[in-house]
Amino acid sequence: MLDGVDIEVRAGELVAVLGRSGSGKSTLLHLLGGLDRPDAGAIDVAGESLVGCSQRELARIRLRRIGFVFQSFQLIEELSGEENVLLPTRLPGAPAGGAARARTLIGELGVEPVSGHLPHELSGGEQQRFAIARALVNEPALVLADEPTGNLDREAAGDLLALLRGLTDAGRAVVMVTHERDVADAADRVLEMADGQLS
Amino acid sequence: MGEALAGLRRRRWRTALAAAGIALAAAMLSTAAVVGYGLHTGFQRSARGADLPDVIARFDRQPLSRIAGRLAALPDLAAVSFRLEITNAELAGAGHRSRQAVVELLSPGRRGYDLLAGRELSSDPRDAIVEQGVARTWGLHLGSRLFLDGLGALHVVGISQSPDNVAYPLAAPRIYLSRPALDARFGAERDPEVNFAQLWLRDRDQLDQVLVQARASSYGIRGLRVITREGVRVLLDQAAGIVIALLVALSAIALLTAAVMLAASARAEVQRRLAGIGVRRAIGAGRSHIALAHALEAAIVSVPAGALGVLAGYVIARSPSEQLLEAINELPPGAGLAVPLLGCWAMTALIPVLASGWPALRASRRPPIALMRGAELRGRWGRRILRSRPGPSGRFPTGLAALGARVVSARRVRLAATLAVLGISVGFILLMLALASELSALESDPGSLGKRYQLTASLPAAAAARVRHVSGVAAVAPRYEVQALDSYSLGETIDLVGYPGDHTVFEAPPLVSGHRLTGTEGAEVGRGLAQVLGLDPGSTLAVELPSGREARFRVAGIVDSLQHDGRVVYVPARTLLAGEPSAQEQLAVRLSAGASPAAVTRRLVALGARPSATGGATNRGRSLIAALSAILRAVAIVDGLVCMYALVQALFLTARERRATIALLRASGAGAGTVRLLLAGAAAAAVVPAALLGIVLERFALGPGMARLAIGYASLELSAGPVQIGVVLLGLAALATGAVLWVARQAAREPIVAALSG
Repeated sequence: MLDGVDIEVRAGELVAVLGRSGSGKSTLLHLLGGLDRPDAGAIDVAGESLVGCSQRELARIRLRRIGFVFQSFQLIEELSGEENVLLPTRLPGAPAGGAARARTLIGELGVEPVSGHLPHELSGGEQQRFAIARALVNEPALVLADEPTGNLDREAAGDLLALLRGLTDAGRAVVMVTHERDVADAADRVLEMADGQLS
Repeated sequence: MGEALAGLRRRRWRTALAAAGIALAAAMLSTAAVVGYGLHTGFQRSARGADLPDVIARFDRQPLSRIAGRLAALPDLAAVSFRLEITNAELAGAGHRSRQAVVELLSPGRRGYDLLAGRELSSDPRDAIVEQGVARTWGLHLGSRLFLDGLGALHVVGISQSPDNVAYPLAAPRIYLSRPALDARFGAERDPEVNFAQLWLRDRDQLDQVLVQARASSYGIRGLRVITREGVRVLLDQAAGIVIALLVALSAIALLTAAVMLAASARAEVQRRLAGIGVRRAIGAGRSHIALAHALEAAIVSVPAGALGVLAGYVIARSPSEQLLEAINELPPGAGLAVPLLGCWAMTALIPVLASGWPALRASRRPPIALMRGAELRGRWGRRILRSRPGPSGRFPTGLAALGARVVSARRVRLAATLAVLGISVGFILLMLALASELSALESDPGSLGKRYQLTASLPAAAAARVRHVSGVAAVAPRYEVQALDSYSLGETIDLVGYPGDHTVFEAPPLVSGHRLTGTEGAEVGRGLAQVLGLDPGSTLAVELPSGREARFRVAGIVDSLQHDGRVVYVPARTLLAGEPSAQEQLAVRLSAGASPAAVTRRLVALGARPSATGGATNRGRSLIAALSAILRAVAIVDGLVCMYALVQALFLTARERRATIALLRASGAGAGTVRLLLAGAAAAAVVPAALLGIVLERFALGPGMARLAIGYASLELSAGPVQIGVVLLGLAALATGAVLWVARQAAREPIVAALSG
C-alpha cells in the first residue's frame, strides 16, 4: 500500500528507492511500469499518462517507453542470450531496427562470445547483462530495475551498477529499488521508503 | 480431508480440468464396455435364456417316426424336439407383408426360443408367437392380428427371441404356431412330416461323438444340414465382429488416454507443488503421509468424476448397443453390465490416485531444501531444454509462434503423450468417417455392390432393342434373378443372377480368385457363400431351384459381392433359364456418362416400363447399418471430446507452468494477441504432427486392419479420402483455436506481477 507518494525522475537521472522488505518499493516500481494500477493519483511516463489507459494502451507504453530488469533475470530458458534480447523486438508495434540495436547492445555489454548460449549455461552476471540488453533493446525512456544486484556477487554487482550508471549517460531515466544501502549509494538520488511512504 | 478440499477449492480451474479429463476417459471406457460387453456376451446370454439346443438339424421332409427312431439311437441325448419349417410363406400384419416368411410348426417339447412377452401357444390354432424383429419392425404387439396365406387370421400371443438366427429384417420374418393345435383343428396326419430337429445333450463335451454317431446313422436322410450351437455363435458373431474390433480399439485408446493424460496431469500438479512438499518434509511430515495426502486429493476428484463419466458413457451407448443386439437377435446384458461398468469406474478413479501418490512419494525422497527451491521432478525422460542454434548475428531465428512450439516441446513426455492421444484419436475419427462413408455407400450406392447399371425396367427381354435407342442409355440387357432354396446351415436363400452375355458390363464385383465365368456351365460365387460352403474355383455348387430341379455349376471364380452378404451366384442366363424358366426378368439399364436418371426414367415410362433406381445393400441390412452408424457417431463424439480435452489440458498446463514467460512478454509490452500467438504455436506443435500421425495411422494401420477384419464379407476401402481428411483437419483446427482462445483468456486475466513472482 502506497500513501502520498510523489516522485519525479528526470531524463539522465539514476534514482534508487531504498527500503526494507514490505516497505512498498516494489509496488512503486510496478505502478511506474504500468504492471499494476493505482487506486488514485497520476503517473506519467515520457509524457504519456498510465492512469485510465486500456490494457492495450498500457502494453504499447510498456513496449516503447519502459524497460524492466528483474532480480531473477527472467530469461526464457529455451532461448539463447541473443534470442532473449531480440524477444521484445519481435512484439507487434516494436520500433524498427531492433536487430541492429540488439547486436550493438550485446557487443557493448561484452557478452557477444556467449550470445548463443542458453541461460543455464551463463553466469549470473552474464544473465543479468542479457536481461539489461533486453530491457534496452526498444530504446525505452525509463528503465526500472527491481533488486538488480540481488542474485549477483559483489564484483558482478559493481559491474552492473556501472552499467546502470552508463544508461543515464544516454539520457535515460533509471529507477532502481534495493534494500542494500551501498547499492543505493551509487545512484544520483536516494529515496527511502517505509510503510508505503517516501522520504 | 478438510485441507484437501480447501486446496481443491483454491485450484478450482485445475480441479475442474482434471475432473473433466477423468470424466471423459471414464465415458470412453464405459462406452466401449457397454457395446463391447453386450456384443461379446450377447450370444451366450441369449442362448442360455432361449435354451438353444446343442445341435440343430435341417433336412428334407421326413416322417417323424423315421427321424425319431434314428435320433433315439444317439448317445447322451437329453431331449429332442421337432418342427416343420415352412419357408416362403405369405404373411401380413399391421400394414406390412412378406412373401418370404418362415412358419415354424412346433411339436411338443422344448422350444429353443425365449419368450420376451406374452404366453406360450395354447390349443387355439390361431395363436401365434412372432420373432421380436418382426414385432418391432412391423409394430406388432400382444393381441395384434396377422394373416397367413392358407390359414387366415392369427393372434399374436407371444413375442420371442430366437438366437439361432439374426432378427428380421436381417433374416426372413418368422412366426411360431402350435402343430398339435392345428392338427386338432384341421385333422392330424398319421405320421406327420418334419424337417427340423433340435437336440439337447446331457454333456456338451460329448458333442463330437454325438455328431459322428449322427452322421453314421443319417444314411438315407436327404438334404441333411447340421449346425451346432457353437456354429450358430460363429455365424452370428460375424455380424458383430467389426463392431467388437472397433470397440476393442476404442478401449485401447480410452485406456491410453486415461492412463497417460491423467498421469501427466497429476504429475504436473505434483511438480507445481514441490515447494509445498519440501516445506512439509522440513516440518517433519513423513513420506507416506505426503503421498497419501496427494492420493486423497486425487481420489476426491476422480471418484465422483469417474462415476459421472461412466454414467454418461452408459447413457450415450446404451440405446445404439441395444438396437444392434436386437438386430442380431441377442438380449441386452441388463444388470450384468454393472460389473464391467464398476471396473471402468474403479480404473478411472484409481489411475489418478496412483499417478498423484507415486510422484509425490518419489518427490518426497529428495532433500527438503532442494524441493523448496522448486527443483525439477525429473524422470528418465524428463524435461530437456532444446539447445538453441544461434542464427546469423542480429537475427531472431524463430517467431513467437515458434517460441510457443519450443516451450511446449520442452516437456517431451507430456508432448509425446498429447501427440499419442491426439494422433490416435485423429486416426480413429478418420476411420469412423471412412467406415461411415463405406456403410452409407453400401446402403445407397449400387457401385459398392459392383453394379454398373443405374436403372431396372420391368420389360421383357424383347424390349431391350427399343430401350437401347432411348436417349441417355449406354447399354441394356435382360437380367434374370432367382432365389434358390437354402443350401447351407442357416437356411438362407441364394441369389442366382444371369445375363445373356458378358455380365461384367452390368455387374462386376471384384474377382478374388479364379476367373470370370465363360461358357454355359461356370459360375462366379460371392465370397460369403463360398466361405459358408467351403467353395473354391473348380468346386461344384449345387442349388435347389424354386421349380424343384437341382442345378449344378462349376465354380469359375470367387467374387467380392456385398449383395445378400455375398450369398450371390452369377451364372449364364441360358443355364439359369434351363433350370428355372420362370425366373424373374428385368432389363438392366446402364446410363451414358452425364445422362440424367430422371430424364431416362421419364422416357422409359413413356415406353410402358416401370423403371426403378438400382439400390445399394439389401434393405434388410438397413437396421443393422443404422445401429452401426449410431455407434460410430457416439464413439466419434466421445473421441472428439477427448481431442478437445487433450489440447486444452496440454495448453492449460503449459500456460500454468510458463506463466512467468507469458508475464514477461506482457511486461515487455505484449498484448493479448501475442499471448494467443504464443499459445497457437504451442498448439500447432501438438496438432500438426498429431494430424500427420493420425492420417498415417489410419492409412497404413487402422484402415487396412479393419478391412482385414471385414474380409469375410468383402473388400472394404477404408482409407479416408481428401474430404474426410479435410473435415478432420478443420475440426482439429477449430478445436485448437477454441482451446488457444480459452487458455489465452485465462492467462491474460492473471496479474502480471503475481505471475512474474510465481
